[in-house]
Amino acid sequence: MTENINNLLSIEVAGIRFSNPVTTASGTCGYGLDLKELIDLNKLGGIFTKGLSARPMRGNAPWRIVETHGGMLNAIGLQNIGARTFVDEKLPELKKYTTQIIPNVFGYTIDEYIEAIEILEAGSGIAAYELNISCPNVKAGGESFANNPRQAAAVTEAVKKASSRPVIVKLSPNVTDIAEVARAVEAAGADALSVINTAVGMSIDIHTRRPRLANVTGGLSGPAIKPIAVRCVFQTRRAVSIPIIGIGGIATAEDALEFIIAGASVIQVGTANFYDPSASMKIIDGLADYCRKHSLENISALVGTVQL
Amino acid sequence: MIDTIATVERNDLTHSASTRSYGRLRLRLQQNIPVLPGQFAMLKPRAVIEPLLRRAMAFYQCHRRDDGLSVEFIYQILGRGTQALARLERGDEVEFLGALGNTYDKAAAMGSEALLVAGGAGSPALFMLAEELLQMKIPVRLFIGGASRHDLCGLDDFTALLGAGNVITATVDGTHGEKGFVTAPLERHLQENVGKPLLIFSCGPDPMLHRVSLIAADYKVPAQLSLEAPMACGFGICVGCAVAVKADVAEGFIYKKVCTDGPVFRSEHLHW
Repeated sequence: MTENINNLLSIEVAGIRFSNPVTTASGTCGYGLDLKELIDLNKLGGIFTKGLSARPMRGNAPWRIVETHGGMLNAIGLQNIGARTFVDEKLPELKKYTTQIIPNVFGYTIDEYIEAIEILEAGSGIAAYELNISCPNVKAGGESFANNPRQAAAVTEAVKKASSRPVIVKLSPNVTDIAEVARAVEAAGADALSVINTAVGMSIDIHTRRPRLANVTGGLSGPAIKPIAVRCVFQTRRAVSIPIIGIGGIATAEDALEFIIAGASVIQVGTANFYDPSASMKIIDGLADYCRKHSLENISALVGTVQL
Repeated sequence: MIDTIATVERNDLTHSASTRSYGRLRLRLQQNIPVLPGQFAMLKPRAVIEPLLRRAMAFYQCHRRDDGLSVEFIYQILGRGTQALARLERGDEVEFLGALGNTYDKAAAMGSEALLVAGGAGSPALFMLAEELLQMKIPVRLFIGGASRHDLCGLDDFTALLGAGNVITATVDGTHGEKGFVTAPLERHLQENVGKPLLIFSCGPDPMLHRVSLIAADYKVPAQLSLEAPMACGFGICVGCAVAVKADVAEGFIYKKVCTDGPVFRSEHLHW
């Protein structure tokens, strides 16, 4: 049965062979090991770790999360153990699993990205890197790298030079034209794109008239953003030829199939890990069922097949 | 920790137009999982889209059966999550993730009088602790407070367990026990027992816990506080439930997770 699922679902992206297209999204699965009691990590296609910086980060003051209709806002503040501790303490156990390990990396200057990548280059068992480029670029007036095609390309190009591994760039939906950013990042050498990061949102307590998040704004995730994410995958698919990893509100196999048909080769399960930890396992089984039902030899035959 | 489907055995609501409403929910689990005092579960009605996230609920009581386990929770009906729990009826199914979090350090109370300080919907997290402390032959005194007599959650059960003489109540509106905050009789007890070995265990709203920690420090009585924080997952991956804990860093504190580092913290470790 497992072998059968592998035949149906195995897919290659940016030179990485995923046993199936179902992975867990950065910031929703810790460093991977936090889910080991609840799901079979060996069954997952891959794990995108919590965002790692060159040095540990303390994170934002509470409150950090608030539930919204069909989703949630978070402003965790990228709290993390730092790339060094990840390599020394988490990676040795994590790499024993057969799933693909993809650290998510961020910085506030291009140099900080490079510093984190250099630390991670020393670790073994890493398949690729995913760049979170939604942070403010403090050396360019604080505008997010992701909002400016030139800045997005600059950080991509610099990381590509420093990395021996494939580089996946995670795009933000908080832009006027995601296709323009996608093209700039592709031209800078990105091996694949993750589409999308969270959508910036806000929630106010009407009794105190204060924002519910200490950070004032936060990233909206969960089923509420799925149509935005599907649209972004569709637009990005038409703009670039590198593979796309779809993310945004995926909680069921039907959700995942929408992204794949829109143009994603691999998908990430995010917020669903919080409220349904076994969602990724159910999605894998659901994708295999769909392939059998539609007589697909492999899920890759479905990628980008949206009928207009 | 198991992620499973539990069945509702009972869900008794205390509705009141003028005060807060509470529910007492009893769930049946097929598995006889270990549950420690102070631990919690993440709950929501099965397969509903709204609310999206499960809600963290402290275990109130556990009843071991030959073929499983019944667990009870008391919840204040506040928002969408607890309103959804309030609609559950006998036989309904609930998504259950538990048991989560750490527990109290009961051994620290050996040779002391244990003072349980409960506020509002925080009291349920202290009931199993009281049971186990009594089994260890440790004397237990409960200080329980709330806005009104309706807010003294589990008062009858605590009184039956501990005896009326060991239960001190306080209400802000004076409808039960002393009028005012529960921290007032607590402080008097500490004044009257200076030099005697005492240990505080407390759960309740943040302002009460902060006041308890200040009083405990004044009288040099150790305190273990069970905290509450909004959390999306309950098992450490969302990092939403941050609490500032003293640390030897430039800022003087780091953030720990209420779900997996807590919910029970030593009072002196918290950075208020």
